[in-house]
This record gives sequence, C-alpha cells and structure tokens, in this order.
Amino acid sequence: MAKKPQQLAIDTRPWRDTANNKPFVRIKNVSKKFGDIIAVHEVSLDIYKSELFCLLGGSGSGKSTLLRMLAGFETPTAGTIEIDGQDMTEVPPYNRPVNMMFQSYALFPHMSVEQNIAYGLKRDGLPRAEIAARVNELLVLVKLQDYGKRKPHQLSGGQRQRVALARALAKRPKLLLLDEPLGALDKKLREETQFELVKIQEQLGVTFIVVTHDQEEAMTLATRIGVMNQGEIAMIGEPTDIYEFPNSRFVANFIGSANMVEGVVSEDEPDHVRIRSSELGCDIYVGHGVDCAPEQRLWWAIRPEKMVLSREQPAGLHGANVATGIVEEIAYLGDISVYQIALESGKRLRVSQTNSVRGNPDAITWDETVYVTWDEDAGSVLTS
Amino acid sequence: MRKGWFLPIAAALGFSFLYAPIVSLVIFSFNESSLVTVWSGFSTKWYGELFSDPQLLGAAWLSLQIAALSASIALVLGTLAAIALVRFRRFRGRTLFAGMVSAPLVMPDVITGLSLLLLFVAMEGFLGWPQGRGMLTIVIAHATFCTAYVCVVVQSRLSDFDRSLEEAAMDLGASPVRTFFDITLPIIAPALVSGWLLGFTLSLDDLVIASFVSGPGSSTLPMVIFSKVRLGVSPDVNALASIIIGIVALGVLAATIIQLRSKPRDRQV
Amino acid sequence: MTATHDPTIPPPRRLKPWNAVEKGLARVGITGRMLVLIAPLVWLLVFFLVPLAVVFGISLANKQFGRPPYTPLLTSEEGTVQLTLHLNNYIRLFTDNLYVAAYLSSIRIAAIATIITLLVGYPMAYAIARAPDRWRNILLMLVVLPFFTSFLLRVYALTGFMRGNGVINQFLGLFGIEPIVMMQTDFAVYVGIVYTYLPFMILPLYTTLVKLDMSLFEASADLGARPIHTFLFVTLPLSLPGIIAGSMLVFIPAIGEFVIPSLLGGPETLMIGRVLWDEFFSATNWPRASAVAVAMLLVVVVPIMLLQRAQGAVVEK
Repeated sequence: MAKKPQQLAIDTRPWRDTANNKPFVRIKNVSKKFGDIIAVHEVSLDIYKSELFCLLGGSGSGKSTLLRMLAGFETPTAGTIEIDGQDMTEVPPYNRPVNMMFQSYALFPHMSVEQNIAYGLKRDGLPRAEIAARVNELLVLVKLQDYGKRKPHQLSGGQRQRVALARALAKRPKLLLLDEPLGALDKKLREETQFELVKIQEQLGVTFIVVTHDQEEAMTLATRIGVMNQGEIAMIGEPTDIYEFPNSRFVANFIGSANMVEGVVSEDEPDHVRIRSSELGCDIYVGHGVDCAPEQRLWWAIRPEKMVLSREQPAGLHGANVATGIVEEIAYLGDISVYQIALESGKRLRVSQTNSVRGNPDAITWDETVYVTWDEDAGSVLTS
Repeated sequence: MRKGWFLPIAAALGFSFLYAPIVSLVIFSFNESSLVTVWSGFSTKWYGELFSDPQLLGAAWLSLQIAALSASIALVLGTLAAIALVRFRRFRGRTLFAGMVSAPLVMPDVITGLSLLLLFVAMEGFLGWPQGRGMLTIVIAHATFCTAYVCVVVQSRLSDFDRSLEEAAMDLGASPVRTFFDITLPIIAPALVSGWLLGFTLSLDDLVIASFVSGPGSSTLPMVIFSKVRLGVSPDVNALASIIIGIVALGVLAATIIQLRSKPRDRQV
Repeated sequence: MTATHDPTIPPPRRLKPWNAVEKGLARVGITGRMLVLIAPLVWLLVFFLVPLAVVFGISLANKQFGRPPYTPLLTSEEGTVQLTLHLNNYIRLFTDNLYVAAYLSSIRIAAIATIITLLVGYPMAYAIARAPDRWRNILLMLVVLPFFTSFLLRVYALTGFMRGNGVINQFLGLFGIEPIVMMQTDFAVYVGIVYTYLPFMILPLYTTLVKLDMSLFEASADLGARPIHTFLFVTLPLSLPGIIAGSMLVFIPAIGEFVIPSLLGGPETLMIGRVLWDEFFSATNWPRASAVAVAMLLVVVVPIMLLQRAQGAVVEK
C-alpha cells in the first residue's frame, strides 16, 4: 500500500508556528561539565520532525558534546533531553531510538559491509530473512549493491562514508545524528555527497541533526542552523536569517565575511537610526527602528556583496551611506573580485563585485580613489 | 642522521654478539665428541640420547603443561586487569592495584619464589591446602608473574584502541558486554595471542621460581637442565637447546611474516 | 525501497537473560566494573601481596629444625597468646660482612653491567630506528628472538663460549694466544648480564628513538652542528626517557640475579640473589633468607620508584 508522502519540515516550517507544532526533540537547559571545564552551558533547543538541523561551531564550541549527549554517550550534568515526547536523559545509547554516523565512520574492521549494516538489526533480534532484505534495501539506497562482501579496508573513503550512513539508517531510527559527515572527503566528493545526503533525508523523512564546523556545508544542508559558541547557542534560524540578519558580532563574523564598523547612535527614531562612525568617515543611515538609545556605542555589520563601488560620487541617503577610500588590494576569484578599500581612518573595507563584464578594460584598479555606498537596509545593527 | 660507517658496524657487532653463542651451541650439538667445544665429526647421537632420556622428556612434558595452564590463567587475569586499568577511571585502590600488577615485572625472581613458597607452607599449616608442593603450586606461581606481562601487552593494545568502534556498536543496540565480545575482543585478539605466547615462554623458561615452589617429582625442564649444566657442559643439552631454538625461530619467523603481510592492507584501528 | 521511512514503531526489544542477571546483581551493589576487577585483584592480593607479608613475618622468626623450619611467631599456652619476634636476622645482616658485601657487590655489578648494556645497546637501537622501514621489523625480530629462546640455555651457551677450551679460546689459540680465564669471574657475569638483558635495553631505547622527529636533527645540522654535537646535544637528551626505562629494566632485575652468577661467576662473585638461594637451600635458614629478601626489596624499591617517575614523565610528554 502506498503511503501518502510525508510533509517535510523544510516545506511546512513548523518552527514558525510553535503554538501548533510540537517539537520532536526538546533539549531543555542542558549543561555538561567535565571537571572544571564547562563544555555546554544551559542550552535549550527545539528540533522538529523531518528537519535537517545543523549545529554549527568551531572547535570547543560544545557542538560535539551536545551531539554525544543526544546519542547517549555523555549524560548531561543538568537539564533534560526529550525525544518524541519521552525523556531520554538517562537512557543508555543502546536503548535509544537514535543512531549516529561517526566522524571516523567507525566501521567494524573485522566485519564485511553487509555484516556492518546488519549489526544493529541483529541486536534487535530480527529474523534473518528480514535482516537480509533490509540490508539489501540499504545497499541499493547508498548505491553499493556490489560491495556487500567487501571489508572496510577494501573501500575508498567515500564508499566507507556511505556504508556508515547505511548502517546508521538500518534500524530506521527516529533521529539520526551525523558528526562532521563530510569532513574526511575531498572538495568534489563533498559537494556531491552534500546533495546526496539531502536527497536521502527528504526521501526518508528522517530527522537529521548534523554537527559541522563548515559553514558552507551548514548553509547547503540545513533547514535550520544552530550556531554555537563556547558551549552556548549564539543563534538559531533558517540559513537566510543567520546570514542576512545575524543577531551578534560573533554570528556575523562566523558566517561568511562581514565588515564590522563601530559607531555611536546620533539619531534614534522609530522609523530610522543614524549612526556616527569615525572609522567609516561618514554617517550610517539605517532605514528601520532599532532597539537602542542615543549616544549608545554599537556595531554595524555589512556584507561585502551588499556594497557598491564607483568612481563618481554617489548621491547617498540623507547625507549618509557614502564612504571613500583607496583601493589597496584586489583578489580576482573568477566570478567575483574582492576589493580591499583603505579608508582615511585606516579602517579597511572588503567589497565584492561580480565580474559581469568580461575582461572589463575599464575595471576599477589599484590605487584608485573610489566611493563605497550601500542601501539603508543593507547592513545589520548589532548591539552585542 | 646517518653516522656513516659507525652505526652499521656497531649494529653488526651487536647482532653477532647476540647470536654467536647460540650458533655455536647449535653447531656443537652435532659434534661427535662429548667435548662440546672440540669438533670431532658430525653426529646426531646426542639427539638420540636426548629422546631416550626419560627424566628430560618427563620434565619437558611437565613444563609444557604448566606453561599452557599458567599462560591461560594469566591471559584471563591479565586481560581483566588491563581492562580495569585502561577503561576504569579513578577507583579506590587504583595505585595499589596498578602497582601489584606491574611489580612482578621488575621483582627479582628469588623474592617472588621465596615469598610464594612461604605462603604455600603457611597455607598448608593453617588450611591444609595446598597439600605439598607440585604442579599446582608451580602453575599458581607462574600464573601470578605472567599476569603482569600479559597485562602490559594487552594494556598497550587497549589504550590504542579506537573507542568510536565500541560507541558505534552501542549506538546500534549492543550492550557493553555484548560490545566487548563482538567488537573489542576480536580486534585485540592479536595482542591476546602475543600475551599468551609471552606467558607461555616465560613459564617454560623459569628456573628460580619453579625451584622454590616445586615438590618431589615435579621437576621442570629448566630445573633438570640447570642441575645437569651446573656440573659442566652436557652435549644432550646442546641438542635440546637446538631443538628449542629451532622451534622458537620458526615461531617468531611465522609471526613476523604474518604481521608483515597484514600490515600494508590494514588501517590502524 | 519504500518511499517513506516509518520510524515511529521500533521493533520490540527482547529482554535477554543476562539483562535480568545484570539487574539483579546491580541491586546487590555488584556492578560490572567490580566483576572485572575482582578476579585479578583477589588473585594478586592472595598470591602477591600476602606472600610478601609472610616473608616479612618469617624474617622475624628463627631457624629451627622441623617442618616448617622456623619458629612460630604466635604461640599460645595456658590461655595466653604470645608473639615472639626475633630481630637477630636483621642484626646479622648488618654485622656479618657477607651480607653487606653481597648487597654492595650486587649493586656494583648490576650498575656496571647496565652501563655496558647501554653502551652496546644504544648503537644497535639507533641503527634499527634509522634503518629503512622494511628492515626495521626484521631487525627487531632478530633482537627479540633470542629472548624467546630459553634464558637458561643462552647462559649455558655463553659457558660453552667462554670456557678454558671454549670457542673464544680456541679461536685465540689459532693465533697462538694463551687461553684467557673468563669463566668464574666478575667479567663473565658482566658478559652474562649484558648478553641476556640486551633486548630489554634495546626495545625501550628503540621505541623512544623511533619517535624522534628527523627534522630536529636536520635543524641542528642546518644551524651548524657537527654530527657528534647533534648527537650529544639533541639526540641524547631527547632519548633520555628511553635510556632510563631501559636501564631500569636491566639494573633492577640484575641486582637479584641468581642464574648468571651461579653458572658464570666464581666463589668470589658475591651476588645477593645467590646468597638468598644458598641461605634457603643450602643452609635451610628460611628466616635468614626472608630477611635477606626484605632487605633486597628495600634496595630495589628506590630504583622502581625512579622508573615509575620516569615512565610518568614519558606519558606526560
């Protein structure tokens, strides 16, 4: 009997309507201490069914510890973890409906590919015929049908990764945890596998939680991203939100590159804010109200692609949003060029422009004096 | 940094020093004359004498049995101790335990032998067991000091072990005990085999401890050899030595070949 | 493959029999950890620690005829229990020259032999560490192989080599050189210890040397150091943990050696292991032998602690 296709989280976006949607995984005020070291501090997080959630952070951010607590290899020092309504905080890993794909793949070297995949099913005591059928299903899913009898050391890195994925999916877990799944692959393979992973996840509708330090990976894979810093959650949101509307300097700097400018609020109105910046050498006009006070010191972040370079002085906006400087460096990256502009104050701005004209003879070049301008909503005002 | 000629020559000298006496031993086992160091002709008569000497053969059989038993007991105890030392975080009496496990490695044989004998005598006085001394007491003594060696070997393998394999097994539903037997044990098996072989060799070779704790009628091979050799050179001992050396050399050679062949393919686990 | 993945109903978990046993034991407070520990712990307590205590106890007894050949420590008569401790064994240890001389001689012989072993073993270990990969395993096997042949037989082999009409003297005889007396001397004991303990020195040295970063030597040469300087100022200090480990592995057991001085040494070669043996087997003076053992333990304990400290330092590095 054909099942009706599941509604995927990426389409329904349940986090936008928390009143009517129950989260699948609830992490409530979870902390983890190792002796005196606080690895995870008061993290609360709700993840919805069939999401592909990414925990993004650098080393020491606590993301791996949080993942291990979800898997059951560490017990939280404080807080609870609920999966599908059941409290799993104290449950050992072999009793959880959760499976993990390890960073090192952790394939059992003394077992064949088939035996590796079948291992979890054997532990459940499934009848042999069913195990064989399930193993076959999975081999087809990860496109390794002819490799069943091989041992892990006879496989390439990418093949091992697929076996690890198949093994983790064999038991049809409610939750699949992936620890830096693409870290060991080279760039080309990584891109291919990223799309494969998303395809499989959408096909099966399993809730994935992926831990990664690679922001590009997070942006490609995730339905939502949780940025972690020093054991705490810095920001949770959809990729666009994280990128375009970061809530702090950390997040703005962590994802992509940003020009960070310091300034003082000179006008604070409900419909606009004006910021004086000696660094920038001009005022910044922000076209919406911001929760701040006059004379408050804050930061303003703008992405390189949101600014425009020109030789002629632009009109600006209410006498603001125009800076001027000299082109110091140009990095030609083929599709875009990144310009480093030195302002009079010594501050450097990075501005990227698409090379839309092929071999432009009139392109802006080194040591030219240029104007930089931007829209009233192009940057983010950050108070932390 | 290569030192040119010095190193290879020093190494060659060292190795010849190591092997020259052994080689001469083997050569003279085929010597006609009983003056072991004067060559008078090729003969295998000492090998014949060896095999018709009931005392030697009996002692050899006894030693083999003792070695097998001791090595096996030591394997179990040593592996358990290694697990405790590598896997358990702090526990009360850990330093004492670690000390007890490793002390036999450096304690002089005479002290180990004396202490165990005195224990057995005292136990016999208080508990009536063990009744006299013999194979049982030797096995107990050997198992005790072999445990230390087994533990070292297994410990070193266990501490290198990739824990994520065990975590993967548990993640897939295997309890800790199950994980140990399904995953850990098969993978550390080579270390267990080495440990057993090490224990076997040490037991087979022990003279001092066996001398202390053995009883009438339970003379081990080293004890018989020692009493023969004390009086002077004995060609049938040469023959015995050659046989032992031959077996050991074959064994070590086989082990090295197996190791070398499996190395390039296997990833370090 | 079905298009959807229904994870909501996991297959029922069959409760295995050991699950119940595990739970039952846990209720009584016996955890898995304890079960693992208990066998080796009890065994070692009974057959390692207690015997040492017994040795100490009997060292405080006196020799007497009978079985067992020592005076009982605890005697009871007419409702009183009496503990009799004799200190004369220990007093004799200090007053009788034999024992003091034997201890000192053992330490001396062991120390000299250790140094010689180091001098012989270091170049060998270094050569193996620097050898190309393929050769290394073979060379290591060659080092380890003699260890697996009988220790006793190897010492016996040495006797054949060093006797009055042994191989060496015969070889020298070819050149018309008079036979050298090698057996039954301190020299023979040195050779014996070096010969039998060489693998114990080479292996730890090799382990340390092989982990050294080649680029350190290259940097030293780049900065102008001649090979001998690189060796003295870079290689040697860095291989110190291996040197200490190897030396302790030779020195400590060598102090208490019995077989080597027995077969290769003369009546003048005093080593404490032999003294203990003679006290026990020849003089049947178990209490005296026990006192010798206790003193030997004390002499040995300090180097053991040094070894532990050095091993700890290696681990930290």
